Amino acid sequence: MRNTGGQLAMLAVINGLLLVAGALISGGSFLSIFNLQSMASQVPEIGLLAIGVMLAMCAGNGGIDLSGIALANLSGVLSAVIVSSFLSANDSGTAFSVAFIAGAILTGLAGGVINGLLISRLNITPILCTLGTQMAFMGLAVVVSGGKAVMVGSPALLSSIGNDMLFQIPISFLLFVVIAGVVAALLKFTPYGLWLMLMGTNPKAALYAGFPKNGVLVATYAISGMLSGLVGVIIAARNVNVKYDYGSTYLLIAILIAVMAGVKPEGGYGRVICVVLSAIALQLMSSLLNFGGLSNFVRDFAWGLLLLTFLAVGRYDIAGFLSPGRRSQNPSVPVPQTPK
Amino acid sequence: MTSFSKKMLAGTAVAAVALVGSIGTLVAQEKPVIATVVKISGIPWFDRMNTGVVAYQEANPDVVASQSGPATADSAQQLQIVNDLVAKGVNALAVVPMDPAVLEGTFQRAMERGIVVVTHEADNQTNTHADVEAFDNADYGAALNERLAECMNKEGKWTTFVGSLGSRTHMQWVGAGEENAKKYAGMELVDPNNESFDDANGTYEKAKEILRKHPDLKGFQTSAGNDVLGVGRAIDEAGLSGKVCLVGTGLPNPSADLLESGAITAIGFWDPQKAGMAMNAVAKLLLEKKEITDGMDLGVEGYNKVSVKQGPGKGLLILGNGMVLADKATYKEHMF
Repeated sequence: MRNTGGQLAMLAVINGLLLVAGALISGGSFLSIFNLQSMASQVPEIGLLAIGVMLAMCAGNGGIDLSGIALANLSGVLSAVIVSSFLSANDSGTAFSVAFIAGAILTGLAGGVINGLLISRLNITPILCTLGTQMAFMGLAVVVSGGKAVMVGSPALLSSIGNDMLFQIPISFLLFVVIAGVVAALLKFTPYGLWLMLMGTNPKAALYAGFPKNGVLVATYAISGMLSGLVGVIIAARNVNVKYDYGSTYLLIAILIAVMAGVKPEGGYGRVICVVLSAIALQLMSSLLNFGGLSNFVRDFAWGLLLLTFLAVGRYDIAGFLSPGRRSQNPSVPVPQTPK
Repeated sequence: MTSFSKKMLAGTAVAAVALVGSIGTLVAQEKPVIATVVKISGIPWFDRMNTGVVAYQEANPDVVASQSGPATADSAQQLQIVNDLVAKGVNALAVVPMDPAVLEGTFQRAMERGIVVVTHEADNQTNTHADVEAFDNADYGAALNERLAECMNKEGKWTTFVGSLGSRTHMQWVGAGEENAKKYAGMELVDPNNESFDDANGTYEKAKEILRKHPDLKGFQTSAGNDVLGVGRAIDEAGLSGKVCLVGTGLPNPSADLLESGAITAIGFWDPQKAGMAMNAVAKLLLEKKEITDGMDLGVEGYNKVSVKQGPGKGLLILGNGMVLADKATYKEHMF
């Protein structure tokens, strides 16, 4: 657990440092309750997408989900178009909200299952498969919406997800934390989590051990898809409108967050708490630079620097990544320590 | 934790301190802050707008005016900048929305917090105090067409290009152009509304096709910024410079060669520098709780006598007369 704990500690320290730095340059206003709320409400969209990417990466065998944001937009657009054809956001606010949320999550689920089936049954390389479905999802969203923004409006329930606070914390952020907790529990306490990580570590051994490979893959991409659907809901709740090309930069940022969180691109290891902290760190940094009035090109530079730092740490601790810390369920495996 | 990760932590701490040092100068000010947010930083159009914001700051030391924008063309990135500026507590926002619909929610929250919101190139924005447009789109389209008709001696076949059929302003421009051409019985519109997708190469190919299909074509009216370059090149290569007329939206610098050779008859545009100044001027007036009235002078060239209408939401729609039509003789006055 030593080295993986190091990653967590490092992320926590970086978050702390960024908060202190923000307080220093802004004379305290960076830590004002309003700014903290504003930053917290910006994290969920990208954070949930990053968790989806993490799950796909953990599955190993080049697992990745490039279709995240496209599926999120499709979920929002499709659900908005369908639901507003038989319900009005103004007249029946709650019914509209519930139908919209259900529609978006179901669309996300369906998209994720399609990804999972293509990858597991047809053995398509995940990066190519999700690149293809990304374009298909985006194209479908363009067709459904006619290329224009689709108005969702602000019925009470949706609007409170996007704008309201509970105990001074934005509801969308609470939702994000709860979902992250559920995914973390799923990975830690269920056979699915164990299968996913072991399969990512050694697919061949997993096959011979008789793991339900296809089932695990489909479940992984389905969860990732459902997270995308939720992102669609949050986007709609915050922006009032949904559009097919929203967040085109999110794709790479989500991968950046996952890698920064120490998720192994070759599979088998990833911690949800690290992804959450890493998403928060990126948000703090970009808000910090906006507060400082620095160019957004500096932000890309700073993110790149941060990523390289983490990769350097990950590479140096490569022996640590092979340690039994990944799963406490199999502590008996002896670990060769490579000399440093 | 290994000694190495401890070293890394120390290194990160040093880096963070250095970062703080470099931006430590930018502490909260007492003067009202007007933040201009553009669609993308680092492209000529918005660099030109930045010169306007800088000039406005120099002329108005009682406010703090600055411009920022995302490094990539993504409405979500622009949204994030606006969100952070709202949280930072600026007094006014002057935004050129990448996508007006995406910003509605944030603008609503900003206005609830008492922040003045001014927009540009977004005459369909509902949540704004005022939207500043350089000109009335119908007037602009008609003016382009009038210039084309003059060049064509008011007769012959002509066609139109738009960036895309979904581009609202482009469709308004060619629509007004068609209306204007109805005045002249000799002008015949053929194959209208070709989509260019603002791609000079694609437009070039398409223009060549049209010239083959209609050898007697006399005029083009184009809309997106790169259309004049593509169509101009097609006309130039066909040796038709001066015989086929081309009037469209374009910028002086890139169009200079083709204007000189006569392939482009005239270009129409508005100066983003002046638009940036006008947005800031409106924001300052609103901060000072002054009323903006019809026929008012904003103190910016091209916005000396603005017409004020009710916008699509509660806000105002402010139309300037910042339209510029430049040809071979006059384009050098506006080099950007």
